[in-house]
Amino acid sequence: MKNFVSILTLIGVLFILSACSEDEPDLIVTSFTDELQEPIEYFEQLHDVKVDLQIIPTENYVNTLRPALESGSGAPDVFTGEIVYLKDWIEQDYWENLSQEPYNVDEWRDDYMEYVWDLGINSNGEVRAVSWQTTPGGIYYRRSIAQEVLGTDDPEQIGQMFSTMEGLMEVGENMKQHNYRLFPDEGSIAPYTNGANPQPWVNENDELVMTEERLAYFDYAKELREKQYTALAPAWSPAWYASFTGPISYNVGWDEIDEDADQSDQTEVFAVSLPTWGLHSVLKEEAQETAGDWAVTNGPTPYFQGGTWIGMYKDSENKDLAFEFIKMLVNDQEFLTEWVMETGDVLSYYPVMEEVAADYADEFLGGQNHYDFFIERAEEIDASTVTRYDQQIDELFGTQVGAYVEGNLTKEEAIEEFYSQVVNAYPNIVVPE
Amino acid sequence: MKKGNHQAYLFIAPFVIVFLIFNIYPIFLTFYYSLTDYTGMGGIENARFIGVDNYIRLFSDRYFYQAFFNTIRIWGFNFIVQMLIALGLALLFSDIRLKLKGVGLFRALFYLPNIITIASVALLFSILLDWNHGGLNQMLLSLGFIDRPINWLNSPAYAQSAVALIGAWMWFGNSFIVLLAGISGISKDFYEAALIDGANWWQSFKFITIPQLKPILLYVLITSIIGGLQIFDLPMLLTDGNGSPQGALNTMVLYLYNQAFKYNNFGYGATIAYGLFFITVIFSAITFRTMYRKQV
Repeated sequence: MKNFVSILTLIGVLFILSACSEDEPDLIVTSFTDELQEPIEYFEQLHDVKVDLQIIPTENYVNTLRPALESGSGAPDVFTGEIVYLKDWIEQDYWENLSQEPYNVDEWRDDYMEYVWDLGINSNGEVRAVSWQTTPGGIYYRRSIAQEVLGTDDPEQIGQMFSTMEGLMEVGENMKQHNYRLFPDEGSIAPYTNGANPQPWVNENDELVMTEERLAYFDYAKELREKQYTALAPAWSPAWYASFTGPISYNVGWDEIDEDADQSDQTEVFAVSLPTWGLHSVLKEEAQETAGDWAVTNGPTPYFQGGTWIGMYKDSENKDLAFEFIKMLVNDQEFLTEWVMETGDVLSYYPVMEEVAADYADEFLGGQNHYDFFIERAEEIDASTVTRYDQQIDELFGTQVGAYVEGNLTKEEAIEEFYSQVVNAYPNIVVPE
Repeated sequence: MKKGNHQAYLFIAPFVIVFLIFNIYPIFLTFYYSLTDYTGMGGIENARFIGVDNYIRLFSDRYFYQAFFNTIRIWGFNFIVQMLIALGLALLFSDIRLKLKGVGLFRALFYLPNIITIASVALLFSILLDWNHGGLNQMLLSLGFIDRPINWLNSPAYAQSAVALIGAWMWFGNSFIVLLAGISGISKDFYEAALIDGANWWQSFKFITIPQLKPILLYVLITSIIGGLQIFDLPMLLTDGNGSPQGALNTMVLYLYNQAFKYNNFGYGATIAYGLFFITVIFSAITFRTMYRKQV
């Protein structure tokens, strides 16, 4: 017992000592990835300060950070936000109004892609958050497979084939003939259905907007499944990741097994739909074995996915330093050039992008200049369709499309269930009859 | 005689203060939330007070009923399997006729699944159960038990069974330890006397073990009900987090979580929490009643 008490005392003393001796950071930054680690090190050297990066995993980010922002205790000086809840957060008193003195960020406006800039503005016309990146999407594909099946690996020509849904399906058939699969899963086609007629999920009267194009997702997804153009590897599953590096198991023991038995249990995936960040945070991370064999091109319609915005906490005690950090991350030509060279991230900041895009070749993409491609795609983005509901409604919709594709529900049942779930999640939304 | 020993209050003060701040206060605050349309943003003071609207909605919410029955089904199946294994093993290892060795080792082995992080368990099983690339189907196919892969996590019955069985696998070791301790606590004299009187195994089990084990069984049952009604992590992680397939894994706490934290219906989430609270109370009361019926 005596020992126990003394150990306890010792632990207590050590704890107090360690708490005292630790340097207080000059700035606390909270984000959901370690992406900001390097910028922070750069910033620390530049200003000779200590910055603490607190990382909260994406799944818990909102629910951990929001109470701190609501109550004001334990709130960081600078924090990031994803497009998923950006619309909610800019309307709250979380981020400082950057349009006012002494920040006047409105002066920067012309240097940025319009949609990215506009998404950080709240209903009072105040800029609450800014972003350094742009996130248009495209279709990444394997050059060697393209060469073998389609006779070319040129992004321009492949883009031509991918420019319509029919073209996409044609390539899918072609791939299947050679025991390749067009996409890992049916979700890869989702961006191009709403993309054909971009509408917000919920309009200003709180009505759910269902379009023919959105409904077409049901049919296209079913077509992909029935014609076996996908490898049945759902996005973010282990099989999905594995599909980027080589053959994966497929069609084990199905009825319709091809006569050629040794071909039927493995297949290789040709392409996947991913936004800009998919290149450095998914493919370059997970597909080292196939580096250099990739290229990126357009799908049938433009789309974009994700994006990180940053701002400073409205009651931060280190606002000057906090703003310096944001300025560096978003508006510092020297730093951003270095950042781009290192990560391959695509920026919404024209001065750097124009310079870099003029002459660039990405090794992973077989020497392709993806900046040129993505900047062009970014120009086509229409962000007026973004609503605060998007992520959740997309998810609910995707689930029902999945149930239809699996044959659990008819299309009518699935749509009905989708409407019912939307109302259950958001009772204020009016769904079509 | 002294009027009262006031120092005692000082000693219980730390617990009471912590309990009041971190348990009682949130419980009342949650009740207040449940009477508002609070979204979790913009402060509770700006939320609209809507009286019992949320409770009226709860009573007619088919997703809540679905969640309730899913939870009961998953818990019930899980509990039966878990108890059969745990009780069987506890009897085996405590049997005075068999005198099995290595109880300590097996106790540790059986308990192992319980110390794996649930997130890892979910990941592990989602890989094993993957219908097209997963190990289970490949094994069953190569052994010839099935001739086409089964889409486990796409079928409501299979998905619920999977969650129940994974739960049983994780928790049987825990129940085993508790039951074994309970059986070891029963005086050997009873069994020896029964042996001498010529009682067979079934008779000594039925007339000695079960009655003597009643308080322990009650404890296991009630903690299992309380834990089982709160099942959340496996259903959340095994499929899409929305209760797929077809709402089969939509459990009460998952529903609460999605309403409050995904759809920002804090007020309604709080209402679900109260619904869950009353259901737990009712179930615990029923269990208590039935287990102690004869004594009362």
